[in-house]
Amino acid sequence: MWSEIEKKILTEILDELIPANPAKKIPSAGQLGVASFIFEVASNSPKLQENIKLVLTWVISKADKISPHLVREIELIHPNAFGSLITETYKGYYSRPDIRKKLYLSEKAVHPFGYEVKSESDEYLKELTDAVRSRGTVYRDPTGGRR
Amino acid sequence: MNNEPVDVLIIGAGASGAAIAWSLLETKMRILCLEQGTHLSDKDFPSRRNDYELSRYAEFSCDPNVRKLKQDYPINSNNSSITPVNWNGVGGSTINFLAHWPRMRPSDFRTKTLDGVGDDWPVDYYDLEPFYEMNDRNVGVSGLNGNPAYPEYTVPYPPIPIGILGQTLAKGFNKLGWHWWPSDVAIVSKDDNGRQKCVNAGTCDLGCAAGAKGGANFTYWPILENAGVELRTDSRVREIQVDKVSGLAKGVLYHGSDGQLHHQKAELIIMACNGVGTPRLLLNSKSDLFPDGLANNSGLVGKNLMFHPLTGVAGVFDKPMRGHEGPMACSILSQEFYESDSSRGFIRGYGLHSGRSTTPMTYALGGYGIDNPIPWGDEHREIMDNIYPYLAGLTIVTEDLPEEHNCVTLDDELKDSDGIPAPKITYKVSENTKAMIKHGEDRAAEVLLAAGAKKILSKNDDKVWWRAGWHQMGTCRMGHDPTKSVVNGWGRSHDVKNLFIVDGSIFVTAGAVNPTSTIQALALYIGDQIKKNIGTLFD
Ligand SMILES: Cc1cc2nc3c(=O)[nH]c(=O)nc-3n(C[C@H](O)[C@H](O)[C@H](O)COP(=O)(O)OP(=O)(O)OC[C@H]3O[C@@H](n4cnc5c(N)ncnc54)[C@H](O)[C@@H]3O)c2cc1C
Ligand code: SF4
Repeated sequence: MWSEIEKKILTEILDELIPANPAKKIPSAGQLGVASFIFEVASNSPKLQENIKLVLTWVISKADKISPHLVREIELIHPNAFGSLITETYKGYYSRPDIRKKLYLSEKAVHPFGYEVKSESDEYLKELTDAVRSRGTVYRDPTGGRR
Repeated sequence: MNNEPVDVLIIGAGASGAAIAWSLLETKMRILCLEQGTHLSDKDFPSRRNDYELSRYAEFSCDPNVRKLKQDYPINSNNSSITPVNWNGVGGSTINFLAHWPRMRPSDFRTKTLDGVGDDWPVDYYDLEPFYEMNDRNVGVSGLNGNPAYPEYTVPYPPIPIGILGQTLAKGFNKLGWHWWPSDVAIVSKDDNGRQKCVNAGTCDLGCAAGAKGGANFTYWPILENAGVELRTDSRVREIQVDKVSGLAKGVLYHGSDGQLHHQKAELIIMACNGVGTPRLLLNSKSDLFPDGLANNSGLVGKNLMFHPLTGVAGVFDKPMRGHEGPMACSILSQEFYESDSSRGFIRGYGLHSGRSTTPMTYALGGYGIDNPIPWGDEHREIMDNIYPYLAGLTIVTEDLPEEHNCVTLDDELKDSDGIPAPKITYKVSENTKAMIKHGEDRAAEVLLAAGAKKILSKNDDKVWWRAGWHQMGTCRMGHDPTKSVVNGWGRSHDVKNLFIVDGSIFVTAGAVNPTSTIQALALYIGDQIKKNIGTLFD
């Protein structure tokens, strides 16, 4: 379905869309293998398949090296196809457990365990809200407090 | 399928349908609820899957035009600046709602008297107060007592954590001397009644697999089904029929789970299909007696549609705000700018809601309600590494005023899978709302800076969030005058004496708070009125 050259080009485009951050050891979208995610989704979506083909065919006919400038050109010339590529790239990248972990999220499903968040103590909440209470009520009661 | 006549037929198993069924339980009447969607068990909720976030853009999107499930009806929003979002199934939109639970305030029921806009409601805050309390207990509400923005009331459970994000913003509000308070939430902060306390997973829009969130699927429906209320799912009502002689509603035509069209008779019909579904069904129920749609002698069915137009402003702080931890919408709420003040250049007001942040995927794809992806390339890296984790935001939730040109009508071409015309939304954000939004953006920036934000991110483009049609109100408003309202002061149609409406469509004005605590309190109030007037109900 997808040729080796198409796979290679898509991976290089993905590296431009979400670059790596070597200092934080965060890989780029291409390095992470998001291309496989996109091909997988495209295998169930003729529209996405068409869009990816359009982008790749255009790129292959234009150049053999991917640069930010070239990616910007795709965005201008094929905005809709590029838009769906962006959406799937972000979905593929951020659904990866390893990336979620780098951004402080749970790697796995969030239920049943969720996150541990400490409740504020009664004293602390009182201290925080004292100033609000001390200013008194802040609503209008047209019934004059019918109760 | 057994279509024996019933005493009470409720259409829609969402927030209001469930609440009124509960209220009517003690009458021992035979109650049937027809619901176009199905039951979902907590095991079906996506947050138990590793790839849970993907479902937000597919089968668990809040937008029925994205989900396109069998039970969904399409909505034509081409002529609207906001698109309605919902869930169709047992629990209704409380399946994916975010459980933020503020009440309306006393002035909300008297906008005409106080500010010369909208209309006064036929009920006031104190009529609803006992029903707010009753409902809070049934639903399981957590919060901090003593909020000076309301007449005094007691919240059943202690507050959920407001988190670093809430604490940081609260200090900003305190510095400016502005009101704020931990949000009331329909989420249990303690294990109780077989429900697990909130585990801070932050996926409230994906159903709440913990059962902590007070969706009607977890609160009212288990009790109702145990008590013998019949819930017929996969059953979409096509039309309500009236008796030509008596002018009373005699029953409904509905598409059942067997794919066939059925007739169901009932003595009393209660509509609970929400602010879009109810006018849609009434407009589709035309007859010689009601050529413009059932119960529409006033011509107001579908008119005066109100949302809560909203936008957001975020601040970038110097420590991580951990905004993905905790219920999505609920941390703190400021009502400093809620009441009218003529010096501000608009009438009525707005709330500043501190939601928490969304997950990286949702943020990268444009955040909740927006869906315009953030930039790609180096800028993307910079945003996700150095901005996203440090964000705390405020949402400006404005009061929408009723305007007849904002409306739900029937689409001439678009239809659902049963061939029923889809609703068409015509809606424009008013100049008053635009002025509120601008004021709110400036105030939000001010408080974020006071709280220590290093940088402010704001859209500043005069546009409100597109997928923020969470609250749908006003399209069958209540009132004393049959020429100016669709139902009376206790939800009964002025034109058809055995037809009631209990969902958000009967709101007269919208307030600037999330509506569901008021929708359910109102449904319980109407149930109470039905019981009190049972002897003369159809007179
Ligand atoms: C993403 C999201 C977030 C939200 N967050 C909040 C929040 O934080 N706080 C808050 O107060 N509110 C929130 N809301 C709004 C809240 O969910 C609604 O106000 C509330 O559910 C409305 O109650 P209802 O009974 O009017 O309608 P719903 O709960 O929507 O129920 C209507 C039911 O009627 C059924 N129905 C419609 N037509 C037919 C028909 N023809 N035949 C059979 N069945 C039919 C539908 O399938 C549905 O189940 C949110 C909503 C969404 C979508
Ligand atoms: S954050 Fe709490 S309420 Fe929301 S889904 Fe998780 S457990 Fe449920």
